[in-house]
Amino acid sequence: MFSDLTNLIYSAYEQFSYLPLFIEIAIVFIYVAIIATISAYCVIMYKRWQAYVYEKRLAFISPKIEEMITEQVLLNENLEKLPVDEIQFDQAALNDVAFKHKWVRQAIIDILIQYRRNFRGEVGELLRKLYLDMGLTKEADDKLKNIRWEVQIKALTELTRMDISISDVTILPLTNSQKPELRAAARNAYVQLSKNEPFKFFDIATEPLLPWDQLELFKIITTTKDIPIPNFSRWVSYSENKSIVSFCLKLIAHYDQQTAIPAVMGLLMNKDHYFRADAINCLGKLSAEVAEPKMLDIYNTQPLNCQLEILKAFGRIASGKHLEFLKNEFLYSYNFDIRMNAARSLIKHNTPISRAMVQEILETAEDEAKLIIKHCQNPLIK
Amino acid sequence: MATILIIEDDDIMLKAIRNILTKSGYIVITAKDGKEAFEQLDNSEYDIVITDLMMPYANGLEVVSRLRSDSTKRHVSIIVVSSVGNEETITEAFRLGADDYLKKPIMAGELLIRIKKLLDSRTNNNKLVTKKK
Repeated sequence: MFSDLTNLIYSAYEQFSYLPLFIEIAIVFIYVAIIATISAYCVIMYKRWQAYVYEKRLAFISPKIEEMITEQVLLNENLEKLPVDEIQFDQAALNDVAFKHKWVRQAIIDILIQYRRNFRGEVGELLRKLYLDMGLTKEADDKLKNIRWEVQIKALTELTRMDISISDVTILPLTNSQKPELRAAARNAYVQLSKNEPFKFFDIATEPLLPWDQLELFKIITTTKDIPIPNFSRWVSYSENKSIVSFCLKLIAHYDQQTAIPAVMGLLMNKDHYFRADAINCLGKLSAEVAEPKMLDIYNTQPLNCQLEILKAFGRIASGKHLEFLKNEFLYSYNFDIRMNAARSLIKHNTPISRAMVQEILETAEDEAKLIIKHCQNPLIK
Repeated sequence: MATILIIEDDDIMLKAIRNILTKSGYIVITAKDGKEAFEQLDNSEYDIVITDLMMPYANGLEVVSRLRSDSTKRHVSIIVVSSVGNEETITEAFRLGADDYLKKPIMAGELLIRIKKLLDSRTNNNKLVTKKK
């Protein structure tokens, strides 16, 4: 039988060597394609089988884990009597042989995270204590050492959800990782977990803070409770990372840090016009009247985006010192955006003088100007 | 003994609240979605309904609206427990007739106190009505 098969292969090989070259190539391609298809199919089947087995195991172990959490945490008799730190768990339940397997420990972590998503207060704290007492931080530590960035992100998410602080030596390098996803996750985790200096990573950040990450980080900073807010002008003055400076300008405006005005004004002479536009925007939101003369001085030498920001800033500050300038820009500029923003800022002042000025324009100016003013006066149009 | 219906599509949360309330001495019935909730509401009488907002078949606001528009079930107290925390949804829930709103993550103790307060105010209202009669 075996010798027949060997003979068959040998004769096929002999015949193959006499075939024309393009037929040989075609045959090789056909065999490679067949082998690749079979291999891919086997891999898919194996993965599906693995997932099926995991689901089966999970369905078996989940009730046991949930029962343990219910008994140790939700129905813990000491929950109302003792402070959370002093509550002791039933060691026999925690040290169950079934909970020693790695995949079971991961299932426990996932379920604990789900519980933490739903419960805070004493129950939330006791869930955290259970996580610590079961030594599940070890799993996260191992994941942080893994070379795969998805695994590292998983560890960061776990530790953030369980409110377990991570040492600076471990997390700070990750906040500057070249992988944007890992960098963002580490930065978000650092802000949430660092109790004293949640913005320390700004000092070492050389990789950019991407616009989407800025949005995510802004949400975390503004919604995390008891976060110590520093004076962001520090990074505006010294950071060489443009995205960090730009982000700090947004935070300065959000937290209305008036003491940062001199540092922000320093950016008005920056070579980068996007930077200057951000700084002008920030000064406007801070209602920095002190910056108005400087902005007026540089107005004529600025590109359009900066000019528009200056006009908007005058409207936000509304000191009333530059009404004539706004009127002239509105009446004599050839650029539609400039006229529109000048009109908006003029109306925003809403003082007797500005109102008289707008009325005068409505009575004397040409139709297009009247139309712009009426458009800007409409409170429904933003 | 007060009877409470919990409507929640998250299995873990459902079991957790059920355990907490059962431990506190309430009779607890559960429903995993809006459809099941309507069936339960048609079959039995409840003192309090605790409902999530985002659920399959019918969302929590529909449950609140249906309870309030049904004259036989209008008296049932409703607590909405949801991770949705925007002002619009919260005011909409109250406008439709919810008695209380808890944003997830919740505090178990707080939930128990709010349930007790709602039950107490119901008892007081009933006493007043009886007195008037």
